[in-house]
Amino acid sequence: MSPAAPGTAPAPGRPARRTGSGFGRLLVTVYGILAFAAIGRSSYELATKFSEAPVAYSLSTLSAVVYVVATVALAKGGPRWRVVAWVTVGFEAVGVLAVGAASVVSPDVFGETTVWSGFGQGYGYVPLVLPFVGLWWLWRTRPRGAGSDDDATPTAPTAPEPTEPVAPDPEVR
Amino acid sequence: MVLPLLIVVLLACAALAGWALWFVVRDRAVILRQLIGAAVVEALVVVQAVVAGVLMATRDHPVDGPLFWGYVATALVVLPVAAIWAFAERTKWSSVVLAVAALTVGFLDWRLWQIWGAA
Repeated sequence: MSPAAPGTAPAPGRPARRTGSGFGRLLVTVYGILAFAAIGRSSYELATKFSEAPVAYSLSTLSAVVYVVATVALAKGGPRWRVVAWVTVGFEAVGVLAVGAASVVSPDVFGETTVWSGFGQGYGYVPLVLPFVGLWWLWRTRPRGAGSDDDATPTAPTAPEPTEPVAPDPEVR
Repeated sequence: MVLPLLIVVLLACAALAGWALWFVVRDRAVILRQLIGAAVVEALVVVQAVVAGVLMATRDHPVDGPLFWGYVATALVVLPVAAIWAFAERTKWSSVVLAVAALTVGFLDWRLWQIWGAA
Protein backbone atom coordinates (compact mmCIF):
# COMPACT_ATOMS: atom_id res chain seq x y z
CA MET A 1 0.00 0.00 0.00
CA SER A 2 0.99 3.59 0.37
CA PRO A 3 4.53 4.04 1.64
CA ALA A 4 3.63 7.18 3.57
CA ALA A 5 2.01 7.34 6.97
CA PRO A 6 -1.74 6.88 6.86
CA GLY A 7 -4.08 9.85 6.65
CA THR A 8 -3.25 11.36 10.02
CA ALA A 9 -0.20 13.24 8.80
CA PRO A 10 -0.92 15.18 5.63
CA ALA A 11 1.98 15.43 3.26
CA PRO A 12 3.46 18.86 2.74
CA GLY A 13 2.46 20.67 -0.40
CA ARG A 14 -0.96 20.56 -1.89
CA PRO A 15 -3.16 18.04 -0.16
CA ALA A 16 -5.42 15.71 -2.07
CA ARG A 17 -8.87 17.02 -2.74
CA ARG A 18 -11.72 14.97 -1.45
CA THR A 19 -12.84 12.46 -4.07
CA GLY A 20 -16.42 12.58 -2.79
CA SER A 21 -16.99 16.33 -2.91
CA GLY A 22 -17.98 18.73 -5.64
CA PHE A 23 -18.16 16.90 -8.94
CA GLY A 24 -17.16 13.81 -6.98
CA ARG A 25 -20.57 13.90 -5.28
CA LEU A 26 -22.16 13.23 -8.64
CA LEU A 27 -19.58 10.60 -9.55
CA VAL A 28 -20.22 8.68 -6.34
CA THR A 29 -23.97 8.97 -6.91
CA VAL A 30 -23.80 7.50 -10.39
CA TYR A 31 -21.43 4.79 -9.15
CA GLY A 32 -23.83 4.02 -6.34
CA ILE A 33 -26.78 3.72 -8.71
CA LEU A 34 -24.81 1.47 -11.02
CA ALA A 35 -23.71 -0.59 -8.03
CA PHE A 36 -27.35 -1.01 -7.00
CA ALA A 37 -28.35 -1.94 -10.52
CA ALA A 38 -25.53 -4.47 -10.76
CA ILE A 39 -26.31 -6.00 -7.37
CA GLY A 40 -29.98 -6.25 -8.24
CA ARG A 41 -29.19 -7.87 -11.54
CA SER A 42 -26.67 -10.36 -10.20
CA SER A 43 -28.74 -11.41 -7.19
CA TYR A 44 -31.69 -11.94 -9.51
CA GLU A 45 -29.54 -14.04 -11.83
CA LEU A 46 -27.93 -16.00 -9.02
CA ALA A 47 -31.27 -16.70 -7.38
CA THR A 48 -33.26 -17.70 -10.45
CA LYS A 49 -31.04 -18.99 -13.22
CA PHE A 50 -27.38 -19.30 -12.28
CA SER A 51 -26.95 -22.72 -13.90
CA GLU A 52 -28.01 -21.40 -17.32
CA ALA A 53 -24.87 -19.32 -17.80
CA PRO A 54 -22.49 -19.61 -14.85
CA VAL A 55 -19.71 -17.63 -16.51
CA ALA A 56 -21.87 -14.66 -17.43
CA TYR A 57 -23.57 -14.57 -14.06
CA SER A 58 -20.33 -14.94 -12.14
CA LEU A 59 -19.00 -12.04 -14.14
CA SER A 60 -22.10 -10.00 -13.27
CA THR A 61 -21.56 -10.75 -9.59
CA LEU A 62 -17.89 -9.85 -9.76
CA SER A 63 -18.64 -6.55 -11.48
CA ALA A 64 -21.35 -5.79 -8.91
CA VAL A 65 -18.93 -6.32 -6.03
CA VAL A 66 -16.31 -4.16 -7.71
CA TYR A 67 -18.83 -1.37 -8.29
CA VAL A 68 -19.79 -1.43 -4.62
CA VAL A 69 -16.16 -1.26 -3.47
CA ALA A 70 -15.40 1.51 -5.97
CA THR A 71 -18.39 3.51 -4.74
CA VAL A 72 -17.30 3.23 -1.11
CA ALA A 73 -13.67 4.01 -1.97
CA LEU A 74 -14.59 7.13 -3.94
CA ALA A 75 -16.94 8.28 -1.21
CA LYS A 76 -14.36 7.80 1.55
CA GLY A 77 -11.38 9.06 -0.41
CA GLY A 78 -8.64 8.76 2.24
CA PRO A 79 -5.10 7.86 1.14
CA ARG A 80 -5.74 4.13 1.30
CA TRP A 81 -9.26 4.33 -0.12
CA ARG A 82 -7.74 6.29 -2.98
CA VAL A 83 -5.55 3.32 -3.82
CA VAL A 84 -8.56 1.03 -3.61
CA ALA A 85 -10.42 3.41 -5.91
CA TRP A 86 -7.60 3.37 -8.48
CA VAL A 87 -7.59 -0.42 -8.49
CA THR A 88 -11.35 -0.96 -8.65
CA VAL A 89 -12.08 1.81 -11.15
CA GLY A 90 -9.15 0.63 -13.26
CA PHE A 91 -10.48 -2.91 -13.07
CA GLU A 92 -13.82 -1.72 -14.39
CA ALA A 93 -12.19 0.14 -17.25
CA VAL A 94 -10.33 -3.01 -18.26
CA GLY A 95 -13.37 -5.18 -17.62
CA VAL A 96 -15.79 -3.24 -19.76
CA LEU A 97 -13.28 -3.01 -22.62
CA ALA A 98 -12.32 -6.69 -22.45
CA VAL A 99 -15.82 -8.10 -21.99
CA GLY A 100 -17.27 -5.56 -24.40
CA ALA A 101 -14.77 -6.52 -27.10
CA ALA A 102 -15.24 -10.23 -26.44
CA SER A 103 -19.02 -9.89 -26.66
CA VAL A 104 -18.77 -8.10 -29.98
CA VAL A 105 -16.29 -10.56 -31.50
CA SER A 106 -18.14 -13.62 -30.23
CA PRO A 107 -21.62 -12.84 -28.90
CA ASP A 108 -22.09 -16.28 -27.37
CA VAL A 109 -18.82 -16.41 -25.50
CA PHE A 110 -20.39 -15.94 -22.06
CA GLY A 111 -23.67 -17.69 -22.83
CA GLU A 112 -25.68 -14.73 -21.63
CA THR A 113 -25.29 -11.00 -21.48
CA THR A 114 -23.56 -9.23 -18.61
CA VAL A 115 -23.41 -5.66 -17.37
CA TRP A 116 -20.37 -5.19 -19.58
CA SER A 117 -21.65 -6.88 -22.74
CA GLY A 118 -21.68 -4.62 -25.79
CA PHE A 119 -19.61 -2.12 -23.80
CA GLY A 120 -22.41 -1.58 -21.32
CA GLN A 121 -25.05 -1.06 -23.99
CA GLY A 122 -27.85 -2.31 -21.76
CA TYR A 123 -27.06 0.45 -19.27
CA GLY A 124 -26.84 3.36 -21.68
CA TYR A 125 -23.06 2.89 -21.97
CA VAL A 126 -22.72 4.26 -18.45
CA PRO A 127 -20.44 1.31 -17.53
CA LEU A 128 -18.15 2.32 -20.40
CA VAL A 129 -17.95 6.02 -19.66
CA LEU A 130 -17.94 5.93 -15.87
CA PRO A 131 -14.57 4.25 -15.16
CA PHE A 132 -12.75 6.69 -17.40
CA VAL A 133 -14.45 9.64 -15.77
CA GLY A 134 -13.50 8.05 -12.45
CA LEU A 135 -9.84 7.68 -13.44
CA TRP A 136 -9.78 11.26 -14.66
CA TRP A 137 -11.29 12.43 -11.37
CA LEU A 138 -8.83 10.43 -9.27
CA TRP A 139 -6.02 11.93 -11.32
CA ARG A 140 -7.41 15.43 -10.93
CA THR A 141 -7.86 15.19 -7.19
CA ARG A 142 -4.55 13.43 -6.59
CA PRO A 143 -2.28 14.65 -3.86
CA ARG A 144 0.64 16.59 -5.16
CA GLY A 145 3.38 18.91 -4.07
CA ALA A 146 6.79 18.62 -2.50
CA GLY A 147 7.43 15.44 -0.61
CA SER A 148 3.94 14.09 -1.01
CA ASP A 149 3.63 10.39 -1.58
CA ASP A 150 1.60 10.90 -4.75
CA ASP A 151 -0.41 8.06 -6.11
CA ALA A 152 0.77 4.62 -5.31
CA THR A 153 -0.23 3.12 -8.63
CA PRO A 154 1.66 2.90 -11.88
CA THR A 155 -1.34 4.25 -13.78
CA ALA A 156 -0.71 7.66 -12.27
CA PRO A 157 2.93 8.57 -12.54
CA THR A 158 3.10 12.04 -11.10
CA ALA A 159 5.98 14.05 -12.38
CA PRO A 160 7.75 15.63 -9.42
CA GLU A 161 6.66 19.22 -9.34
CA PRO A 162 8.98 22.05 -8.47
CA THR A 163 9.20 22.59 -4.76
CA GLU A 164 6.45 24.89 -3.67
CA PRO A 165 6.05 26.74 -0.42
CA VAL A 166 4.98 24.43 2.34
CA ALA A 167 2.13 26.72 3.35
CA PRO A 168 -1.27 25.41 2.33
CA ASP A 169 -2.48 26.65 -0.97
CA PRO A 170 -5.00 29.41 -0.25
CA GLU A 171 -7.09 28.54 -3.26
CA VAL A 172 -7.87 25.06 -1.98
CA ARG A 173 -11.49 24.85 -1.05
CA MET B 1 -49.74 -1.36 -11.57
CA VAL B 2 -52.23 1.17 -12.83
CA LEU B 3 -51.60 3.76 -15.50
CA PRO B 4 -52.83 6.88 -13.64
CA LEU B 5 -50.49 6.14 -10.75
CA LEU B 6 -47.59 5.60 -13.15
CA ILE B 7 -48.25 8.98 -14.73
CA VAL B 8 -48.44 10.66 -11.32
CA VAL B 9 -45.13 9.13 -10.25
CA LEU B 10 -43.42 10.05 -13.52
CA LEU B 11 -44.68 13.62 -13.31
CA ALA B 12 -43.57 13.88 -9.69
CA CYS B 13 -40.09 12.62 -10.61
CA ALA B 14 -39.92 15.08 -13.51
CA ALA B 15 -41.03 17.94 -11.27
CA LEU B 16 -38.44 17.11 -8.61
CA ALA B 17 -35.71 16.77 -11.24
CA GLY B 18 -36.76 20.05 -12.84
CA TRP B 19 -36.73 21.82 -9.49
CA ALA B 20 -33.26 20.47 -8.73
CA LEU B 21 -31.95 21.39 -12.20
CA TRP B 22 -33.27 24.91 -11.73
CA PHE B 23 -31.17 25.05 -8.59
CA VAL B 24 -28.15 23.82 -10.56
CA VAL B 25 -28.60 26.70 -12.99
CA ARG B 26 -28.81 29.12 -10.08
CA ASP B 27 -25.75 27.55 -8.45
CA ARG B 28 -27.60 26.56 -5.29
CA ALA B 29 -27.52 23.51 -3.05
CA VAL B 30 -30.47 21.33 -2.14
CA ILE B 31 -32.82 22.87 0.43
CA LEU B 32 -35.05 21.23 3.01
CA ARG B 33 -38.22 21.79 1.01
CA GLN B 34 -36.74 19.73 -1.82
CA LEU B 35 -36.12 16.91 0.62
CA ILE B 36 -39.80 17.07 1.53
CA GLY B 37 -40.54 16.93 -2.19
CA ALA B 38 -38.34 13.85 -2.45
CA ALA B 39 -40.26 12.31 0.45
CA VAL B 40 -43.51 12.88 -1.43
CA VAL B 41 -42.11 11.13 -4.50
CA GLU B 42 -40.92 8.29 -2.29
CA ALA B 43 -44.37 8.00 -0.71
CA LEU B 44 -45.95 7.80 -4.17
CA VAL B 45 -43.61 4.96 -5.12
CA VAL B 46 -44.55 3.15 -1.90
CA VAL B 47 -48.24 3.57 -2.70
CA GLN B 48 -47.57 2.23 -6.17
CA ALA B 49 -45.76 -0.79 -4.77
CA VAL B 50 -48.62 -1.52 -2.37
CA VAL B 51 -51.16 -1.24 -5.18
CA ALA B 52 -49.07 -3.57 -7.34
CA GLY B 53 -48.80 -6.04 -4.47
CA VAL B 54 -52.55 -6.03 -3.91
CA LEU B 55 -53.23 -6.46 -7.62
CA MET B 56 -50.78 -9.35 -7.78
CA ALA B 57 -52.34 -11.05 -4.77
CA THR B 58 -55.93 -10.64 -5.86
CA ARG B 59 -55.92 -10.83 -9.63
CA ASP B 60 -53.47 -13.54 -10.53
CA HIS B 61 -51.51 -11.16 -12.73
CA PRO B 62 -48.55 -13.05 -14.19
CA VAL B 63 -45.39 -11.12 -13.39
CA ASP B 64 -41.75 -12.10 -12.97
CA GLY B 65 -41.91 -11.55 -9.21
CA PRO B 66 -38.22 -11.46 -8.25
CA LEU B 67 -37.43 -9.10 -11.12
CA PHE B 68 -40.34 -6.81 -10.34
CA TRP B 69 -39.69 -6.58 -6.62
CA GLY B 70 -35.97 -6.17 -7.23
CA TYR B 71 -36.76 -3.06 -9.24
CA VAL B 72 -39.20 -1.87 -6.57
CA ALA B 73 -36.51 -2.27 -3.91
CA THR B 74 -33.98 -0.32 -5.98
CA ALA B 75 -36.49 2.42 -6.74
CA LEU B 76 -37.28 2.75 -3.04
CA VAL B 77 -33.64 2.88 -1.93
CA VAL B 78 -32.24 5.34 -4.49
CA LEU B 79 -34.03 8.51 -3.45
CA PRO B 80 -33.54 8.46 0.35
CA VAL B 81 -29.86 7.56 0.07
CA ALA B 82 -29.24 10.10 -2.69
CA ALA B 83 -31.15 12.79 -0.77
CA ILE B 84 -28.94 12.37 2.30
CA TRP B 85 -25.85 12.21 0.14
CA ALA B 86 -26.92 15.35 -1.73
CA PHE B 87 -27.87 17.30 1.37
CA ALA B 88 -24.44 16.79 2.91
CA GLU B 89 -22.87 18.64 -0.02
CA ARG B 90 -23.34 22.40 -0.01
CA THR B 91 -22.50 23.25 -3.60
CA LYS B 92 -24.54 23.07 -6.78
CA TRP B 93 -23.40 19.45 -7.18
CA SER B 94 -25.81 18.72 -4.38
CA SER B 95 -28.65 19.70 -6.73
CA VAL B 96 -27.15 17.71 -9.60
CA VAL B 97 -27.21 14.61 -7.39
CA LEU B 98 -30.86 15.12 -6.48
CA ALA B 99 -31.79 15.64 -10.14
CA VAL B 100 -29.99 12.46 -11.19
CA ALA B 101 -31.69 10.51 -8.41
CA ALA B 102 -35.14 11.79 -9.38
CA LEU B 103 -34.57 10.90 -13.03
CA THR B 104 -33.31 7.47 -12.02
CA VAL B 105 -36.45 6.78 -9.99
CA GLY B 106 -38.55 7.88 -12.96
CA PHE B 107 -36.60 5.54 -15.22
CA LEU B 108 -36.93 2.63 -12.79
CA ASP B 109 -40.65 3.28 -12.56
CA TRP B 110 -40.92 3.13 -16.32
CA ARG B 111 -39.03 -0.18 -16.27
CA LEU B 112 -41.47 -1.42 -13.63
CA TRP B 113 -44.32 -0.64 -15.98
CA GLN B 114 -42.60 -2.60 -18.77
CA ILE B 115 -41.94 -5.58 -16.51
CA TRP B 116 -45.54 -5.48 -15.33
CA GLY B 117 -46.86 -5.54 -18.87
CA ALA B 118 -44.29 -7.79 -20.47
CA ALA B 119 -45.12 -10.84 -18.39
